[in-house]
Amino acid sequence: MSDTSGDKVASSDGIKEKVVEAIKAMRNGPRAMRMYMEMCAKCGSCSSVCPVYYGKSEKRYNPAERTDLIRRIYRKYCTLSGKLFGKAAGAEDFDPEDIEEWKEIFYECTGCRRCATFCPFGIDHSVITRKGRAILDQLGMTPATMQKVVDISLKTGNTDGANEAAFRAAIEFLEEEMEEEHGTPIKIPIDREGVDYFYVPPSGDVLVNPEATMGLAKIFHVLGMADKWTMSSKCFDGANYGLFTGNDADMKADNKLYVEETKKLGAKTMLMGECGHAHRIMKMMMEKTGWWGDLPFQITNCMQWTADVIRSGRIEFDKSKNPQPVTYHDPCNFGRSCGITEEPREILKATCADFREMVPNRAENWCCGGGGGLSAMDDIIEFRMEISGKKKLEQIRQTGAKYVATACSNCKRQLTQLMEHHGEEIDVGGVHDMLSRAILVNGKAAERTDYT
Amino acid sequence: MEIVRLIVGGILPYTALVVFVAGMAYRFYIWAKLASPPMTLFPAPGDDKSTALNTFEEVVFFKSLFRGDRVLWTLAWVFHAVLLLIFVGHFRVFTNVDAVLMKLGMSEDAIGAMSSWAGGAAGVVILLATLLLLARRLALPRVREITGPADYLALLLIAAIILTGDMMRFSTEHFDLALTREYFAGLATFSNVTGAAALEHGVFLVHMCLALLLILILPFSKLLHFGGIFFTHQLIRKQ
Repeated sequence: MSDTSGDKVASSDGIKEKVVEAIKAMRNGPRAMRMYMEMCAKCGSCSSVCPVYYGKSEKRYNPAERTDLIRRIYRKYCTLSGKLFGKAAGAEDFDPEDIEEWKEIFYECTGCRRCATFCPFGIDHSVITRKGRAILDQLGMTPATMQKVVDISLKTGNTDGANEAAFRAAIEFLEEEMEEEHGTPIKIPIDREGVDYFYVPPSGDVLVNPEATMGLAKIFHVLGMADKWTMSSKCFDGANYGLFTGNDADMKADNKLYVEETKKLGAKTMLMGECGHAHRIMKMMMEKTGWWGDLPFQITNCMQWTADVIRSGRIEFDKSKNPQPVTYHDPCNFGRSCGITEEPREILKATCADFREMVPNRAENWCCGGGGGLSAMDDIIEFRMEISGKKKLEQIRQTGAKYVATACSNCKRQLTQLMEHHGEEIDVGGVHDMLSRAILVNGKAAERTDYT
Repeated sequence: MEIVRLIVGGILPYTALVVFVAGMAYRFYIWAKLASPPMTLFPAPGDDKSTALNTFEEVVFFKSLFRGDRVLWTLAWVFHAVLLLIFVGHFRVFTNVDAVLMKLGMSEDAIGAMSSWAGGAAGVVILLATLLLLARRLALPRVREITGPADYLALLLIAAIILTGDMMRFSTEHFDLALTREYFAGLATFSNVTGAAALEHGVFLVHMCLALLLILILPFSKLLHFGGIFFTHQLIRKQ
């Protein structure tokens, strides 16, 4: 008995040391990390714009309180006032028993950054959420559902754990589908070198909701550029869960695979798919910060590319193929974090007969409730359906839309589950899905009508 | 009493000023030194000029808060705007600004009227704003649950400073402008600081003490947001 209790003390000591050291290291930056520890005025404006707190107004869901879990310890060890006045100055020591609660609370923030949009100081609580997760990750305490995705991704190069044969089979199936729809062969090139575009979708857009990939293939076909693009049999999933677990090494390792593959293929442009966080990591983090030095290729998003093509007038659509009311959900990573808000709308307005806006939208859009990787966690589905997704459900209902288009596999999964859970007969899918149904190939849109 | 006058009138002013200046300089130095990888939040200005303009709008108009919480914006903006006005007004207490104003064409009566009307109104409005901010903090569960002792103390300290300031503004018995200017002139020239007659006013002494305490703790409390705000918006609103 004494042995086990001895172990427990030792391990909780180890936990405390690691947590405190990690928090003390925040003094050394990045700048945001340190400033967020020193600046919050506790005005409460974050809680009034947070989708989670909207879903349930409890202290544990308050963004400022979540950040304070770390800030209290920072004040205790890193600030003069905290050292002198303790609790009166908002300083508290870390209690290893809290770690169980941390494991839940840091995975109850969707990292949507809506708080940062409205905070008078621009404090971005998602940065602290990610720090909390990084600390948990260091302790080997990343939730099993998340860790599994990271492990699979680093092992197989994609978050679905699909091997090359499965990928090739899926692509073959898509080509058959398209031929059936249009009566003409439409190719999806694989591993073709020296092309203009290397398409990096989320694997969900190949294996789960493949219409987006079909839509893109059709554009290349219509433009006569079928031999100017490719997918990779090894790198067909831009999703990168290192962003969500807070593990920078995992994030970079996963990212490197894709950068190397692009170089190997000699593609001129990396064409990111409908996956917000993947695009954000590539464009806003990897490229901007220069993780791998100068890149011999450009990075753009398929929605930007497609919107350009539409503007050039080189493709045509039959909007009557999409008669139902359609709305667009701005994925947080595309809207707030990458500034891609107009292109998806241009595509949807060109391809759908009845496009409706959610209010508010674009940079002020409410999160689907599954951001920050939560969408992959079925162990917290009750939380996602009843709390974090509550506002989104209301917003979607208000539009009267029968189809919610969104450009993110995580949003799609969360929204699909949300609609099912609450008994709404509203379809959820991608932006290029709508395009795939309406685009004219040899003057005719797809024959198929059963899109369920 | 002698010892209190020595501490509040003679030691605290210099200490507070040195600690404040050094403390804030240290903060700015550290903040500027730390690495700042891009973490852009859209819509974000594209160039340095628009980024600076955006920071200006945030600092002067609290742009983000205006979109997020109109009630808090009203209270916070009025509080800070009037605080700035009062800060500027205090220069008339420290030194003989009147001479400058008269050169600009203001009569002595006009200066006196401006001082009592603008100063008086400011004193009332800021007290009201502070009390409403406190009431809001107590009334809204989402704010109350994240409020700690330091947050209440900061508000109460500010309220006490305003209250003693208002007492001097609205009653002649606590305050003498000429004596006060004499005292600050002494402070500036390091002469006869503790012997100044201004310090015999108890309310003035308390007002001074609390105000200096506030200045002293600024760099160590959440109140340092008045300097940090110039940095934090750039962190996210920069491409």
